[in-house]
Amino acid sequence: MPGWMVGIDVGGTFTDGVAVARDGSMRVAKVPSTPADPSVGLLACLRRLRDDGVDDVDLLFHGTTVATNAMLTGIPTRVVLLATEGFRDILSYRTGSRPRLYDLRQPRPSEMVPRRDRLEVRERLSSLGEVVVPFTDEEIRRVVDATAARSPEAVAVAFLFSYLDDRHERAVGRALRERLPDVPVALSSEVAREFREYPRTATTVLNAALRPVVGRYLRTAAAGLRQLGIDAPFLVMQSNGGCVPADRADREAHRLVLSGPTAGVAGALALGARHGLTRVIAFDMGGTSLDVCLAQDGVPPVTPVLRANDHPILAPTVDIVTVGAGGGSIASVDRAGRLRVGPRSAGADPGPAAYGRGGTEATLTDAFVAAGVLGPDTPLAGELALDVDLAVEAVARVGEGLRLDAPTTAEGIIAIAAAHAARALRRVSVERGLDPREFVLVAFGGAGPLLAGWMLEDLGLGAVLVPPLPGLFSAQGLLSTSLRIDDSQTVLSVLEPRVVREATGWFGRAGRRLLRQLREDGIDPARTRLVGSVDCRYLGQGYELNVTLPTLDAAGLHGVAERFHELHLRTYGHADPSEPVELVTLRLSAFGDLDRPPPPEIPRGGARPRADALGGERRVRLRRTGRRVPVYRRSRLRAGNRLPGPAIVDQMDATTLVLAGQEATVDRAGNLWIRREGAR
Amino acid sequence: MNRRRLDPITFELIHAGLLSAAEEMGGVLKRSSYSPIIREMEDFSCALFRADGDLVAQADYIPAQLGAMSLVVKSIIERWGEDIEPHDVFLCNHPYMGAMHTPDLNVIMPIHVGGELFAWSGATAHHIDVGGVNPGTEGASLTQLYAEGLVLPPVKLYEGGQENRNLFGIVMANVRDPVSTASDLRAQRAACTLGERRVLELVERYGSARVRAAFDEALDAVERMTRAVLRELPDGEAEAEGFLDDDGVGGPPTRIHARICKRGDRITVDLSGSAPQITGALNVPWASTRAAVVYALRAMTDPSMTTNDGMMRPVEIVCPRGTVLNPNPPAAVSVRHNTCQRLAEVLVRALSALWPDRAVASGTVTFFDVNLESVSPRTGRPSVMMDVVGGGTGGHPLGDGLDGVDTYMSNVGLLPVEVAESEYAVRILRTELVPGSQGLGRYNGGLGLRREYLVLDRPQTATIYGEQTNPAFRPLGAHGGGDARETRISVFGPDGRRMRLPSKVTLTLQPGTVIRVETSGGGGFGDPKERDPELVRADVLDGRTIRGPTGEGTCLRGSRSRGSGSSTGAGATRWSAPPSSWRATGSWPWARRATSRACRTSAWWTRPARP
Repeated sequence: MPGWMVGIDVGGTFTDGVAVARDGSMRVAKVPSTPADPSVGLLACLRRLRDDGVDDVDLLFHGTTVATNAMLTGIPTRVVLLATEGFRDILSYRTGSRPRLYDLRQPRPSEMVPRRDRLEVRERLSSLGEVVVPFTDEEIRRVVDATAARSPEAVAVAFLFSYLDDRHERAVGRALRERLPDVPVALSSEVAREFREYPRTATTVLNAALRPVVGRYLRTAAAGLRQLGIDAPFLVMQSNGGCVPADRADREAHRLVLSGPTAGVAGALALGARHGLTRVIAFDMGGTSLDVCLAQDGVPPVTPVLRANDHPILAPTVDIVTVGAGGGSIASVDRAGRLRVGPRSAGADPGPAAYGRGGTEATLTDAFVAAGVLGPDTPLAGELALDVDLAVEAVARVGEGLRLDAPTTAEGIIAIAAAHAARALRRVSVERGLDPREFVLVAFGGAGPLLAGWMLEDLGLGAVLVPPLPGLFSAQGLLSTSLRIDDSQTVLSVLEPRVVREATGWFGRAGRRLLRQLREDGIDPARTRLVGSVDCRYLGQGYELNVTLPTLDAAGLHGVAERFHELHLRTYGHADPSEPVELVTLRLSAFGDLDRPPPPEIPRGGARPRADALGGERRVRLRRTGRRVPVYRRSRLRAGNRLPGPAIVDQMDATTLVLAGQEATVDRAGNLWIRREGAR
Repeated sequence: MNRRRLDPITFELIHAGLLSAAEEMGGVLKRSSYSPIIREMEDFSCALFRADGDLVAQADYIPAQLGAMSLVVKSIIERWGEDIEPHDVFLCNHPYMGAMHTPDLNVIMPIHVGGELFAWSGATAHHIDVGGVNPGTEGASLTQLYAEGLVLPPVKLYEGGQENRNLFGIVMANVRDPVSTASDLRAQRAACTLGERRVLELVERYGSARVRAAFDEALDAVERMTRAVLRELPDGEAEAEGFLDDDGVGGPPTRIHARICKRGDRITVDLSGSAPQITGALNVPWASTRAAVVYALRAMTDPSMTTNDGMMRPVEIVCPRGTVLNPNPPAAVSVRHNTCQRLAEVLVRALSALWPDRAVASGTVTFFDVNLESVSPRTGRPSVMMDVVGGGTGGHPLGDGLDGVDTYMSNVGLLPVEVAESEYAVRILRTELVPGSQGLGRYNGGLGLRREYLVLDRPQTATIYGEQTNPAFRPLGAHGGGDARETRISVFGPDGRRMRLPSKVTLTLQPGTVIRVETSGGGGFGDPKERDPELVRADVLDGRTIRGPTGEGTCLRGSRSRGSGSSTGAGATRWSAPPSSWRATGSWPWARRATSRACRTSAWWTRPARP
């Protein structure tokens, strides 16, 4: 059978694979992740798929946490930073504010490059791009010598005002590349041509530091793929929700930091688009955290800056809010006698008490076990069986401190976790001026479909949509992404004819460059598109609003002022068309669309599920009453089936809970739609 | 009705709903306000209060606003009593009626259930200007509240849902950017209305008795937590003192003193040893004094603790009227922030003496601030640069302090060079760490910053102020750690000559002149001889310390007058006169002392007032 599209997503515990063939058939695999060398898990997952018949891979997508983990654990790369004289310490004082407000014993944020390896360079441009201190050949020789003497693994160059004029950075870049041909050199004018020196410098240093790490990983992975006989295009997911060919992913290493969670958002959007939904909430709850994202009109919200581990990264990033609430969140009673859930987590190891791996603290998962929603017969990945007694004991210990019995405590833990999740969703929606009632929530991750019923109830959502493979949804989401390249240029000029000419010129040049790149990546020019936007503000304001351009020519730019006034009115409640508008940063994204896998279909059935779909009953105690709740097997459900709540739907990768007063229906593609009873 | 006991789970659900409501209020305010100071700097706060005005739930933004507003709510109740009607909205910024300083406009709305006053929702925000002598309203040299803009006791901004046009008219006629002020006030009211709606939804869902019980329990739980934390800490008495360089108008130093007595689960903070109220605008209104106490207690007990007015129940603050920390009207208060930072530092030092296991060394409280009346090089428009330069935080039992950051109750960022030079006629020549500015110890203090501003193109007027230029007032070490160096402020003429400046001054500077500040670092923690030799080696390789027998600022000797336990009593403090090289005479032709202007405005105050 020809032509599989394969998505492999590496998570903290498992590496998931989903393969879809042109005829719609699908194969999945789940193997343990291998944090020491994630490529081992990647290849194991591919081997598992191959053994299952996935023998001819056309296209391989990959979501990786290799950059994220490197940032969390400290990047081992020895980097030398070249900075304008007088400003090398910017990696110490950063923005001048502290990460935590109240903590008098907070750790020093990582400086990324020790002071001894931060070199001062005699050169200087003014804010108008004029040379104030010339960069002499002698000075270039001196700094290249000093850099080489430190035998760096990567070099970062970030001079003041290089977003206006990169001649000094390019001069030293050439000399460095000549002297140190095997060492990656990151110039801030190549990494992020945006103003404000700290984020630009930090991004450049991160790019330099991550390049060897990402490069090593991808080379190892590529070699392994060749051994497996896979020579398909190998694409890596970026923070911006699009992907990039692996062979140039290392040059853009800083754009991979949020590679993992964005794939799920892409999947939720693609799913929504297939059902004509314009407003979708991605609700991804795993073992340690909950990632939420509200998307409108089929596009994910993107912020120009990502904050990771207290560092700003200038890279367009899908705006995902993460809350410390997951299946492993620990419940405890604090010193004031209050029942708390999270933010501490039992993580994957030892995990919930019910896993029987030495965990004794009650987690959200244990609460679901104690309430009867999960049972010893619940199928779990990794041949694990849940130990009900351990879960109940752990929950009962929490209840003792509150003089509550175990079932009441369990229910309380679940309700409190749901309240945290609802709070996060409310915060995200109100800050963006959106009403959650107009959204459909796509629930995925191991714990998302367990808690989604409470969201439906608390937030008055339109519906909850549980995809066929909630636990593998991120891997599946990879298959629906496009190639994406971003570029930006700060201009900082009042909107006037000369500036419009300059901006149009930049859009033209950058657009040609990005499209050429997509062509080289093998994308049919008919399937490429450019999307431009401009950060604008009123002259004298300190902060910008991003205005999307209808076209990238002079006409599109001439309309910017009007669009900005409108946006300002919408955002702040007023506008002043008589005030001059300033263009701050030009932004351009190029997309290259790829083949989409056909939507899978399942057999049709009646409203009542067939007898073989019923896998038994569990005694569940929720809302202070115990009752027998039917357990359905997800794989045996047919399109058209209706499951009145309360009901439990089991499958290998996640359990879905339909609450009393709600009803789930199964659609053609095998999705579960949960709605309030009587709602349509 | 009787206070019924609420089951712990229902309480958590209602409590989460209240916190969520406060956060949503913040979201609405941020989204619908005009001013970047609200949207981007988050200089605002939103909260819900019990019917009696006690703060129940607050969204966590900046510490300087901690517990803000509950005193305002109480003064509304006192002033309006029976005349508080549904859909009224109150406005108040009176520093002697619960507000913190006049630019913080408090918008407060009663929430009625069944015709009875049930709760309050409130949103306070720093407005960029509320009129007065100076653009931006604030000014250290102001001597009376009347110079600090429009002063509003609790008044009705809306009556029964109707906008009070008289009041809007008065406000708009008195402020420099009336359009922003009016739209931000409406945004604040929108936030309050959302808070009201959320509280009413909770009442509908859980019943008013349960929600009321949850208000009580929210306060009780924080009180229990505070008492539990206090009980575990040693009893005792300790005191500490610290000084402002002057009184805001060039007079003698101002003493801030705290004596803390902790017994069991109670704590008394006695501030009565602090100086009498002073001439300049560095006096601290009561709400801010209280916020500093909350900040210090939270930071020294459990930084992750939720706070509301329950935290204050085991805490008694003693501070007679007429002192700098509890002044009588009409003393000016608009620059109370510098004093608050010093108060927070003194309190942390006293608590460090009381609980040596939790001790930390002092961070800088310089809060160096330069305002430059400048011109944009790109557009030629007049523009005012405001920059705050941070310094080091103190070493602590877990590690070294942070370099070059704002400290204690505020967290203002540094102006980026690429923004400063694009918007103002200056060039920033350097922004770098000052080796030797920190105190050494087992864990060193963070380093101070050296920043230099070159005045370009035309004469420009600079208002500069800070603290800790007097070496006697430098940040102190703890547990045998060394002290940090004092802050140094100088001006270099085009002829290369240097003039040391006192901590507060307004000068007109000629092009080619350079302002240089070197802020103090943080104090060291523990005996420097116990520092890990690897760290010492790294300090040397990184040029973070100055070597040599008399290395300036290394301050290896432990020193006098820090917080002291009750057994030893307070050390006598010496202080010397400010640097005497200051001359406001013609011998410095490139720096003329500007006497009449005392301008404190903000970086974003660059657009002219609009009609």
